[in-house]
Amino acid sequence: MVPKIMKQGRLAPWLYLFPALLIMGLYIIYPTIGTIRLSLLNYNSTASAATTCTANQPCWGIFENYRYALTNSEMLTALRNNALWLLVMVPATVIIGLLFALLADRVRYESLAKAVIFMPVAISFIGAGIIWRFVYYIETGTGAQIGLLDAIISGFGGKPVAWLSNPATNNFALMAVGVWLWAGFCMTILSAAIKGVSAEMLEAARVDGATEFQVFWNIMLPTIMPSIVVVTTTMFIIILKIFDVVFVMTGGNFGTEVIANRMFNLIVTNAGRSTAIAVVLIALTIPIMIFNVDRFRKEEMAR
Amino acid sequence: MFKLSKLLTLLVLAGLLLAACGPQATPTEVMTEAPATEASSSSSSAPAQPAMCMGAQPGDQLTVMYQWSGAEEESFNAIVKPLLDACGIKLVAQTNRDMAVLDTAVKSTPPDVLFWPDLRPLKLYSDKLLALDSIGADKSNFASYWMDMGTTNGKWVAIPVKADVKSIIWYSPAQFQALGYQVPATFEDLQTLVDKMAADNNVPWSMGFNNGGAADGWSGTDFIQDILLATQGPDYVNGILSGKVAYNDQPVVDAYTLYHKWASDAKYTVGGADGTVNTKFLDAIHKVFSNPPEAMMVKQSGFAGGEIVKEFPNLKYGTDFDFFEFPGVKGVQGGADFMYAFGNSPAAQALVAYLTSKDGGKAWAAAGFGLSPNSGANGNYTDPQVAKLGDILANASGFTFDIGDGLGDPFATAEFKGVVDIVQGADIKATLDTIAQAQTETLNK
Amino acid sequence: MNAFQSLNKIFRRLPLHLAIIVMCLLWIIPTLGLFVTSFRSREAVRTSGWWSAFLPQPKVGLPEYTQYCASCHGADGRTIQTADLSDPDLVNQFPRAANLLVMLKQPVNGSSHLINPPLPADAKTALSTLAPIITYMQTLGGTNTQNQLTLNNYVDSLVGYKGTQDYSTDCQQKVPSTLAKYKCNISDLLNPEGMGAAFINTVLVSVPATLLVIIFAALAAYAFAWLDFPGRHWLFALLVGLQVIPLQMSLVPIAQLYVKLGLQSSFLGIWLFHVGFGLPYAIYLIRNFIGGLPRDVFESAYLDGASHWTAFRRLALPLAMPAIGALGIFQFIWVWNDFLVAKIFLNTHPVLTVQITNLLDPRGGNWHILTGAAFLSFIIPMVVFFAFQRSFVRGLLAGSVKG
Repeated sequence: MVPKIMKQGRLAPWLYLFPALLIMGLYIIYPTIGTIRLSLLNYNSTASAATTCTANQPCWGIFENYRYALTNSEMLTALRNNALWLLVMVPATVIIGLLFALLADRVRYESLAKAVIFMPVAISFIGAGIIWRFVYYIETGTGAQIGLLDAIISGFGGKPVAWLSNPATNNFALMAVGVWLWAGFCMTILSAAIKGVSAEMLEAARVDGATEFQVFWNIMLPTIMPSIVVVTTTMFIIILKIFDVVFVMTGGNFGTEVIANRMFNLIVTNAGRSTAIAVVLIALTIPIMIFNVDRFRKEEMAR
Repeated sequence: MFKLSKLLTLLVLAGLLLAACGPQATPTEVMTEAPATEASSSSSSAPAQPAMCMGAQPGDQLTVMYQWSGAEEESFNAIVKPLLDACGIKLVAQTNRDMAVLDTAVKSTPPDVLFWPDLRPLKLYSDKLLALDSIGADKSNFASYWMDMGTTNGKWVAIPVKADVKSIIWYSPAQFQALGYQVPATFEDLQTLVDKMAADNNVPWSMGFNNGGAADGWSGTDFIQDILLATQGPDYVNGILSGKVAYNDQPVVDAYTLYHKWASDAKYTVGGADGTVNTKFLDAIHKVFSNPPEAMMVKQSGFAGGEIVKEFPNLKYGTDFDFFEFPGVKGVQGGADFMYAFGNSPAAQALVAYLTSKDGGKAWAAAGFGLSPNSGANGNYTDPQVAKLGDILANASGFTFDIGDGLGDPFATAEFKGVVDIVQGADIKATLDTIAQAQTETLNK
Repeated sequence: MNAFQSLNKIFRRLPLHLAIIVMCLLWIIPTLGLFVTSFRSREAVRTSGWWSAFLPQPKVGLPEYTQYCASCHGADGRTIQTADLSDPDLVNQFPRAANLLVMLKQPVNGSSHLINPPLPADAKTALSTLAPIITYMQTLGGTNTQNQLTLNNYVDSLVGYKGTQDYSTDCQQKVPSTLAKYKCNISDLLNPEGMGAAFINTVLVSVPATLLVIIFAALAAYAFAWLDFPGRHWLFALLVGLQVIPLQMSLVPIAQLYVKLGLQSSFLGIWLFHVGFGLPYAIYLIRNFIGGLPRDVFESAYLDGASHWTAFRRLALPLAMPAIGALGIFQFIWVWNDFLVAKIFLNTHPVLTVQITNLLDPRGGNWHILTGAAFLSFIIPMVVFFAFQRSFVRGLLAGSVKG
């Protein structure tokens, strides 16, 4: 709560808020309202979406674009892949980030080690695409393997793997790039949280004979839980919107399509479908939104 | 601490200033001095501009967008230089290959003239595009099939300025000679030759779908289209465009069956299916001419010649690399860069008129910038390689453009994805059924 | 602690060190690979992995050459003066095995060219024997420059060279098309098609876009934290929601708006766009921080008669520096690495990421140059991170643990 003692004019808060609200309203809210409108229109926004229904096919009337976004086979692949990304990558980035933060906390070259893990955060996705090209490249002819992974495999006499086109490996190959890009972000925040845990508390527990695991589980983990929640929700949003990695590495081919890439590919050729996908994407983030708002209110109460 | 906010303000102001004084927009400006006629010094008499300027005044600005860069862009600049010099037009060009960027530009500040290598703008922006004959284009220099391609609902909005022949196969004459292979004359000869090479343990084909970034099926669908041109002819292919022929028709199934055999078996193509979908299409060209060569032939458009010498500067056209027409094709398949107009300023009209004129075709041919469909180009090619392509184009009984580009989405996407799936082993009939469904949906749109 | 004890300690902690080092290696090897590649030639990038730069060079073709050619032409290829195999001009006449085979079948001075041992009779086997010999002759003639490291990828990308050789060679040979575009001196670094010019553009975009976000976000965050107004909760909730909206949605509406305002392809336009999409997270982060500052600090300031404006400038801003620093780094890296927004809203002044894609030729060639270009684009974000790492961590700590 704001202290009562602070006098303020009725207009004052709005003067502070004005520049930010104006810019956000113009750049985010106004276009988003337009997006909802476009999602009910046809491919070039000249007629209602209902006009794109074909005879003898299922039709959702004005919500026809949503029928595409929720039932089309390409979209089902994309939805399934996004679910896979969330299931694998959110825990992977958070756990690897936490593990590394815990380990690095105990050595003297901590800042150097952390800088190495963080480095990919500073790299553009264009750059990341170029970097990983030289890891996953497969030479199928008679030339030498110039991709690192396949060179190792053929060095041991194995048969080279088409990492990016083989449906058994490609989604995981892309997720590896994602983990490489984002684990540093999680690590940095969690590392900061670990440093905030009082050293006396940890020492007291150790003196009482607790094992390292018990110290972690009973003292460390509860204390850094709020940070883990922040990191997890942030990663959830980032991965729900995942686009760059897929766009540069496979373009969504070979069964690696994701929602945001589908939306991008349709922006020009089918505005109606593209915007419907965008609305679905925003809808999927509503639980996170509610969760965050709830957290914010609890925090306000506690203040 | 109080100084901090001042510092921030100062920095922002400095940034603003820097930006304001920063380098002026210089993507590619070809600014040429207007000819120093006496008209420019006297204010009473109207400037004596040549007729080709269509009333454009010295200093008029003309915005264009195209995908060309490097040597290609230089060729284009050489072609338009006479016009710019004569009229004093200032050309402001932007290189862009991204559809999303084009779309944003068209919906906000469209370029006066757009050059784009497919017909998607024709469908997407038919209401914003100007009819070319209304702004001075000369249609008499173009064969009718070029006109038909660029016409939508009776409005003629696109004309190819640059064409490329796709129905050709590149090979090494020295290699063929050493191994005793003959250039095939008919489609049956080609199949026999391919089987003979495979039997000799020489990989006949080099194929590659990868576009430098992601896989894209266009080099596969190009191949299918050539097979269809050889087995059925151009009317059949155009039937797919008009909807007379469904994409799951038997001859299409047969074409895919043959293509699948060649594109997914390591005996027939470098690396089998994995090789086809993962190899960059540029590398697929290189593999035929490397030391040692990994394959005997690559089916690729006319641009491949330039790519071969770029990668292997000591190879010579005619002995180390050459091409032959896809055996047995009736009519050729080609690609083209189309010119579209969004602006009708005098300068824009002057450019459209110039590039569609006899002189424009002549200048295009002289620059050696691919082929020009403009009849003014005939006989003016200087490079023997381009001239040979020009002959194939000029003698073609018909011309078909890429089916996917012609029909647009969602067909194009389904077709590109379908050919990738089929090479990777998807059921041919079922996949073609899906594409045929997309074909119906596209035609109903 | 004696030597034995410290040795024992190191030994016990070996698994820990090993785990950290292995993970660091895993993280750094892909980037290291690109770094090494960026110093290799076009030919080398295409034909061998980056690690072969560290390995001894295999003598391709040496056994075949020794078996078939060395007896007459000598180990260095110079024995027969009229057929000097170390002469690049001669070697260039036979670029492939097929050319060589034709020549070898012709008689030399009346007798058959190859005497002992004879080439395999089968054409295919003969060709595969000759191919490595060609490579070896190129090595003899010095035209096989495969494994020499070079700075060409960096120079070419800095000046935006798109020709078929490389910029330095073209300048030496005075190639007309290159001379038309370049002066072949230091001023070429500012060529609008190169990474040098793009570097300046990127700085001009990133610095103001970062500072503007900080100022506007700090103001708004102060209001959310220490001012009372109706709808405070709902507005902040909305702010949280805004963080998830993908920016692709805004491209066309904003582009249309910019035409009306005359902001297309202007620095102001792109700053504001980045500010718009940077603000929700920025306000969220800073509010969490200054909302958590001790309340009595502010109360006593007001009792001393300070206004809100004074409290904002003298208390909130300085105390929030860690959060502002962290946010600044994030926003800066984000804007620096952005591709899509710059591509659409600043097409006349390409930034680094856009320029990298411009360096590719239309068919995706010139890949080797991209390796150098990519590294040039990494430099500044890395420097910024290393320089501000400490304040960054402090700020993140403060911003996130408040929950």
